[in-house]
Amino acid sequence: MNLLNYVPGDSFLHRLNPVTKLAAAFMYGIAAILCENVFAEALFIVVMILISATAGLFKRAVLLTGNLMILGLIMFVIQLLFVRDGSPLLVIGGVVLFTTGGLKSALLLSLRVIAAMLPLMLLFAITRMNDLCNALVKRLHLPYRYAFIVTTAFRFVPIFATEFHDIQDAQKARGVDFDTRNIFRKLGLIAPLCVPLLVSSLKKVDVSAMSAEMRGFELRGYKSGYKEYPFAARDMVTVLVLVVLIVATVVLKTIPK
Amino acid sequence: MISVKNLGFVYKDSKVAALDDINIEIADGDFVGITGASGAGKTTFTFALNGIIPQKIKGDFYGAVTIDGVDTAEHPAEEFARKVGEVFQDIDSQMVASVVEDEILFGLENFGVPHEEVGVRIDRVLRELGIEDLRDREIEGLSGGQKQKVAIASMLALEPEVIVLDEPTGELDPESSREIFKILTALNKEKGITVIIVEQKIMLLCEYVKHMMVLDKGKIAFYGTPRDMAASIDTFKDLGINVPRVTELSADLIREKIYDGEVTLTVDDAEKMVRRILK
Repeated sequence: MNLLNYVPGDSFLHRLNPVTKLAAAFMYGIAAILCENVFAEALFIVVMILISATAGLFKRAVLLTGNLMILGLIMFVIQLLFVRDGSPLLVIGGVVLFTTGGLKSALLLSLRVIAAMLPLMLLFAITRMNDLCNALVKRLHLPYRYAFIVTTAFRFVPIFATEFHDIQDAQKARGVDFDTRNIFRKLGLIAPLCVPLLVSSLKKVDVSAMSAEMRGFELRGYKSGYKEYPFAARDMVTVLVLVVLIVATVVLKTIPK
Repeated sequence: MISVKNLGFVYKDSKVAALDDINIEIADGDFVGITGASGAGKTTFTFALNGIIPQKIKGDFYGAVTIDGVDTAEHPAEEFARKVGEVFQDIDSQMVASVVEDEILFGLENFGVPHEEVGVRIDRVLRELGIEDLRDREIEGLSGGQKQKVAIASMLALEPEVIVLDEPTGELDPESSREIFKILTALNKEKGITVIIVEQKIMLLCEYVKHMMVLDKGKIAFYGTPRDMAASIDTFKDLGINVPRVTELSADLIREKIYDGEVTLTVDDAEKMVRRILK
């Protein structure tokens, strides 16, 4: 299962304006970054998973959290080994391996990474890339050129993947053994494929650019978009809730313990 | 009407002329099939029909191409693109959206077609190509034939006078190839759209087109109706192009004075011919 593709639906989250969705994902992330309490940080993750569940994305959210944990784990280990605050917690042969401050900061940072990134990853499940870009052009007057670059980049990923498999198959047919278990050998075999892939990709990009130009790409302005993306009451409510969340996080931080 | 006079083109960094002294007039409502070996200049020729050459692709350009009297070198290519829509050979790369409806919308939005008319046009082209059910589908998951139809639909939505297609059936099975030709014939007959198609399947060309053009090393080696091919069978053989067997057979029978009818282009016609001879 691709964890970043769009899941069609008609939930509250799905029906939000794409611009609101993007803003909300960022605001939730900002709140998570501002937060300095380990338990609250964990709560951020749990609440996000529950919110996703209302759009039928519980499983997706859990899987994404699992994947993000890998990143969190890396952050955890780095923090643990390098932050030297507090009292020594583990000492082996006179060398302080890690401290209480290190453990606390590692736990906080790894949870924070997950909590801040999860909503952005989930954004892809409830928003079509095209809608997001169109809405950004229409509502925020983002230059269409940039929106087009982003959608095209996403669109080309599967095309390049197919191309890569074709090239790989062509090499297999000539006796190249890609099935080797040795990862270094495999990398050595795959690296040279980058050249034909790059060449064919550039050709494709040329055709794509020509096709877009011939269909009036240069003439387009922010008013050109056919689909309207009106803001509704639910968008206001969502933004309001997130503003309150950020304010609450900041206020709670300043209260002395 | 598209008028091509003394057209020549040499790609930048190339020494060989891709097109060399091409002269031809394509009337409104014509259905022209272009064939020839690879490297004969077919694609280059299609690029010259709406200003892509010399405007978007650089090289040495000779002669002149005019569309309804307007020189393609003198106005932005986009202006001609609405009149002469082109479906490129690489079907995947020319798509600009990930969903069918958005693909058709793209040109309509860019050229500023009034928004109240956009919906009508999308409905109409989807119906004309029989792909109403594909409207919300991801293009990535469509078959080759369906993708071709989407590409044609997105051109058609701009209401061009001429549609140019570069080997649209190249990767299609015989059934889907024929279907594309049927659609094009209907557009040609019912809406009077001029169709110019590059195609290797000579049987299909013989059956559907009004005029055939064979390119060889950048020059026109043959131009005429499919029936005219019978008189030039030797030229075709020299070029390595197989004239349909039924055409060759009828030409032989006519030459031997066994048959006095017209040259046959399809198996059905050939059957009738044989029945008539045997009577």
